[in-house]
Amino acid sequence: MAKSLPRIRRLVGQPFPRVDADGKARGTTRYLADRHYPGLRHGVVVRSPVPRGILKAVVPDPDFDWTGIVLATAKDIPGINVVHMHDRTMPLLAEIGGEIRYRGEPVGVVAAKTPELAAAAAARVRVEVDELPPLLTLQEAVATFKSAPARFDSMKNQDIVKGDLAHGFAAADEILEAEYWAGHQEQLYLENQGLVVVPQKDGSILAEGSIQCPYFPVHELNDPLKLPPEKIRVRQTPIGGAFGGKEEYPTMLVGYAAVAALKSGRPVKIAYERHEDILFTPKRHPVWSRYKVGFKKDGTLTAIECDFILDGGAYLTISDVVMFRGILHCAVAYRCDHVTIRGKVARTHSVPCGAFRGFGAPQAIWGIESHVDAIAARLGKTPDAYRLQIHARPGDRTPTGQILSKENGATDCLRLALRRADFARKLKQCSRGRLLKGQKKYYGVGLSFFAHGAAFTGDGEAKFKAKGRVELALLDDGRPGVDIRVSSTEMGQGVHTVFTQIAADALDLDPARIRFPLADTALVPNSGPTVASRTTMVVGNVVHRAALDLKSQIEAFAALRHFRGAAARLRGSRLVAQGGKSVPFAKVAREMLAELGGASGFFQFELPADIRWDQTTFKGDSYPGYSWSANVAEIEIDPLTCEIAVKRVCAVLDIGRVVNPVTAAGQVEGGLTQALGYALLEKIGTGPNGLYDAARLQTYIIPTALDVPEFDVKFVEYPYSFAPPGAKGLGELPMDGLAPAIANAVAAAIGVRLRRLPITPEAIHAALHPVSGGAP
Amino acid sequence: MKTTEHIDIRCPRTLAEALRLQADERTRGTLLAGGTDLMVQWASGVPTPVRATSVWNLPEISAIEVCADCLEIGAGVTHAFLVDCTQVHRHLPALAAAAATVGAAQIQARGTLGGNAANASPAGDTAPALLVTGGSVVLASVSGTREVPLDRFWTAYRRIDARPDEIIVAFRLPKKGKAQERFRKIGTRRAQAISKVMAASRILVEKGRIQSVAIALGSIAPTPVRLSEVEALLAGQKPTPALIDEAEKLAQASVRPIADIRSTAEYRRWASGRLVRAALENL
Repeated sequence: MAKSLPRIRRLVGQPFPRVDADGKARGTTRYLADRHYPGLRHGVVVRSPVPRGILKAVVPDPDFDWTGIVLATAKDIPGINVVHMHDRTMPLLAEIGGEIRYRGEPVGVVAAKTPELAAAAAARVRVEVDELPPLLTLQEAVATFKSAPARFDSMKNQDIVKGDLAHGFAAADEILEAEYWAGHQEQLYLENQGLVVVPQKDGSILAEGSIQCPYFPVHELNDPLKLPPEKIRVRQTPIGGAFGGKEEYPTMLVGYAAVAALKSGRPVKIAYERHEDILFTPKRHPVWSRYKVGFKKDGTLTAIECDFILDGGAYLTISDVVMFRGILHCAVAYRCDHVTIRGKVARTHSVPCGAFRGFGAPQAIWGIESHVDAIAARLGKTPDAYRLQIHARPGDRTPTGQILSKENGATDCLRLALRRADFARKLKQCSRGRLLKGQKKYYGVGLSFFAHGAAFTGDGEAKFKAKGRVELALLDDGRPGVDIRVSSTEMGQGVHTVFTQIAADALDLDPARIRFPLADTALVPNSGPTVASRTTMVVGNVVHRAALDLKSQIEAFAALRHFRGAAARLRGSRLVAQGGKSVPFAKVAREMLAELGGASGFFQFELPADIRWDQTTFKGDSYPGYSWSANVAEIEIDPLTCEIAVKRVCAVLDIGRVVNPVTAAGQVEGGLTQALGYALLEKIGTGPNGLYDAARLQTYIIPTALDVPEFDVKFVEYPYSFAPPGAKGLGELPMDGLAPAIANAVAAAIGVRLRRLPITPEAIHAALHPVSGGAP
Repeated sequence: MKTTEHIDIRCPRTLAEALRLQADERTRGTLLAGGTDLMVQWASGVPTPVRATSVWNLPEISAIEVCADCLEIGAGVTHAFLVDCTQVHRHLPALAAAAATVGAAQIQARGTLGGNAANASPAGDTAPALLVTGGSVVLASVSGTREVPLDRFWTAYRRIDARPDEIIVAFRLPKKGKAQERFRKIGTRRAQAISKVMAASRILVEKGRIQSVAIALGSIAPTPVRLSEVEALLAGQKPTPALIDEAEKLAQASVRPIADIRSTAEYRRWASGRLVRAALENL
C-alpha cells in the first residue's frame, strides 16, 4: 500500500528558500520605523553627564517652553525602582541621592511631539551630580585584582574544579603561563534599537518593537511598572539584526518608554540613532584570562589553571551567565584530569556589557586556543598533530564531569578541516618572521578547535520547559493552514524558514500552508528567548512534536469523519486511509475549524531524565549537547606596512542535523566575518570621560566585503538524537574560534605571538619593533 | 543628538550665477558639491548652515581638459570620473589611484575633487597626489580668477587659501611625462576607509640618477605635506639601497604625526618612512 503513495520529499536538509526573503527584498516588510502610531510621542533618554557620582538633582530649565512635553524621572516610576535582571540592583532610572554608576546612565525620559523637540528638551534638563572617582576599564580592575585582590570588586564569582591542581602541576614536566586580553565588541545590527510602548485603557501596556526576547520585559518590569506579567504585552516587529544586542537591553528600553507613556497617557517611541546606540547599549564583555598549564614531555596535559575575568560594566544585568558560559568553554575541548577555572565579573563604571553572539565563549576560546598553540610550539609539535593528540573525544569527562556523548563530530571536524585546508603542507610555508623564497609577504596559517555548548547552561532547559503550539488557522488567502506559535524571533538567522521546514515535514503538509506570525506574548506560549544557539535544537524539537500532535488530531478527526474509523494518515497534504478515497487537508481543516473551533498541537520540552547538574558546584552535565568546529585561517602580513589580510578561511562544523544547508552556511560566513572583525578591526575603548571612543560607523571599523576572505564551509552531521530533527547549536559557533586561528596564523607569519585583540597593524608593528623607529 | 534644521539650498545653473550668489554676503552659502563630507558633518552636530550654494553639476567646472603639458580638471569632477578617465590614468596615475581609494562606489560617484580639496582634511585622499604634481588650484570670484600653487593651498588644519566669495573651479596639474608616480594608502580597512598614512610620489630617474622628486604624505600633519627634506636628500642622487635606507629614516625623523582613534603616532611615524621606501624601490 505504502508503495503506491507518491514519494515524500523531506524539507529538512534541503536548501528551502527563505520564507521572509520576498518582503525583505521588495521592501514590503514593515519595520518599526515604517509603522504609524496615532498620537505618538517621541522619547529621548536624559543621561548622566559623568561616569560616577551621587545624583543631586534633575532640573528642567525654566527658560524652556515645556508645553506639551513630558519629563519622567525616577519619581514617576509607579512601583519599585528596580529592573529584574539576574540580580535586583539596577534602578530603571537613577534616583536622586542614589549613585550614578556609568556615564550615560538614564536619569529621565523626555517625550515630545517630534524627535527634534524631544532632543532639544532633553538637552535643557540639568543633571546635577556630585562626582566620585570612577574605575573605567578592565585594565584598572585587573591591576587591582593582581595587586590588591581584597579590593577587587567582583559582581559574581564561580569556580570549576576537577581533580587536584597541585597534583596535576606536580606531575608536569613543564608549565606555561600567559595572559590574554580582548576588548569590547559592538553588535552593530543594521536596525538600531527601537520600540514603542502604547498605554492601554485597562492600565496595561503594549510594547512593540525590535525585540529579540519578547517574554523578557513581561517578567522583568513587574516591580517598576507595578504590572503583573499578563498586563505587559510584547509584540515583535521585524528585526533588522540583533546578535544578542536586543536580548536583555530592550527590557530597559521598554521600561524607559513605559514610564513616559504611563505619565503622558500616550504611545511613546524610543528609537536610537546609531551614535546613541553605540554609546549607550551593551557590548561584548572585555576579557582578561590567565592560563597556567602543566604538561608532560609527550604533550599530555596534566593541569589547567585559569583565571577568567569579564568586564561586566556598572551593573550585573546578565553578566553572571556570560561568565558561566565563558568558564565552561575555557577547557572543555581537551583532555586533562586536573582543572581549576576561576571566573569573575569585574564591576567598572561603564555601560553594562551584555549578550553578544558567543556569550563568553569567544573570550574563553580566544585564550585557550592561543595557549594550546603556544604549548605545541614549546613541545616542538605541530598545532594540528598536537590537537589531534589531546582533544576531547566521546566518553571523555569535561571539567564539570560531563561524559561526552557519541553524538560528537569533534575528531571529524578537526581531520576534515586539516585536509580541506591542506594544513600540514601550508604550515611548512609559514614565514615565521623571515620571508621565504618567493614570498613578498609574511605568510601564516593558523588552526583553532573548539566546542559550543548548545542551549541553556546546565539544567536550564530542564527547568524552563520550552512550550510551543502548532494550530489550525485560516491563512491570509482565506484558506486553511497552520500557524506556528512560539516565542522564537526571526532576526535574520532564518528561524521562520527552518521551523516551516520542520513543521511541513512533521505534518507532511505543503509548506505554503504554514505560517509563522511574529511573536506576540498574548498569542504565543513561552518557548524561551531566542538565544544560546538553542532555537533550532530545542524549540525546533517543540515545533516538530507539536506538529506531530496536531497531525494525530487531524488524522483522528478524519478517520471518524471520512473513513468510518479506519486509521487515516496525513500525507502530501491529503488525508488517506486504506480502502478510502483521499480527502484534501483543506477540507478536513475547514471542518475542524467550523465544528471544533480549531485544533492545536502542543509540546513542552523536556531533557532526558538522567541529566544531572549542580548549579553551586558546577558539576554535572553543563550542556545538553555540544557543537564542534575547527577553523583554519591563512593570512598575509605586508612587511612594508604590517597590514594584515586574511586570505582563506576553512571552517568545518558539527551542528548536528543541518536543517537548511544554505541558510546554515550563510550564518557561518556571517559569524566568521564578525569574528574576523573581532580579531583584526573592531577596536573601541573607554575614554577618560567615560564614553566609548569609537562611537560612529566612521570610527568603529567592521569588515567590508573587501576585507572578507574566501570561505570554505563544510558540515559533518552528528545529530542530537534526543530531539528530532536532531539539530545542535549553530548560531554562535562561527563567532567562537576564528580570532585565535587568526592570532595563531599571525604568530606563524611573524614569529611573535600577540595576546591582545584586536590585532592591528599598529600592534604587529609594535611587536616587531619593540623600540620605535627603524626598519625591520 | 542629530537635529534637522531648515537649509536654504540655492542651485545656480551657471558658474557666473554661483559667483554672483557668493559675492554678496546676504546670498552667500556654504558651497555644496557632492555633499559627501557636509552631509556627514551636518548629521554629527556641526552647526548646520542657514544657506548653501550648490555647485553640483555646474557645466563650467565638471570637465577635464587635456592641454599640452597639463590636465585642467574641473573642481566638480567626481572621483568616479577620475577613476574612469584614461587621460588621468596616463598622465596622473597617482591621482587616479588615490581617487579609487575614496570611500566606496557611492561616495566616489558623488564626491568631487574640488570638494575633497576644499574640505581640507589632512586625510583627504587626493591631496598628496595633487601635491606631487607641483600644480595649482584655480579660484574664481566675480572679480576674476587667481591661481594658488597647491603646496601653499592648505594653510593650516582645515584651512585653505580661499576667500569666502571664491569658488574652486579647477586644478591645473602638470602631466607626469617620463616620471614615475606611485600612490599608497594605509587605511583602517580595505574599503570605506579613512587613511592612517598615505603617500604619493612623482620621481624622474634618468641616467641612473633622480632628476626630480616630489613626495607627499597625508594624515601625518595638520595638512597634507611635501617631504622637502627627503626630496632634497634624494635630488640628483642614485637611488641606491643605502640612499633609500637613509630616506626612510629621514622621513621618519622629519614627521610629527599625532595619535588618534585610527592609529598611533609611533606607527604613523614608522609607516611614513616605509611608504617613502615604497616610493623609491625598483624605480
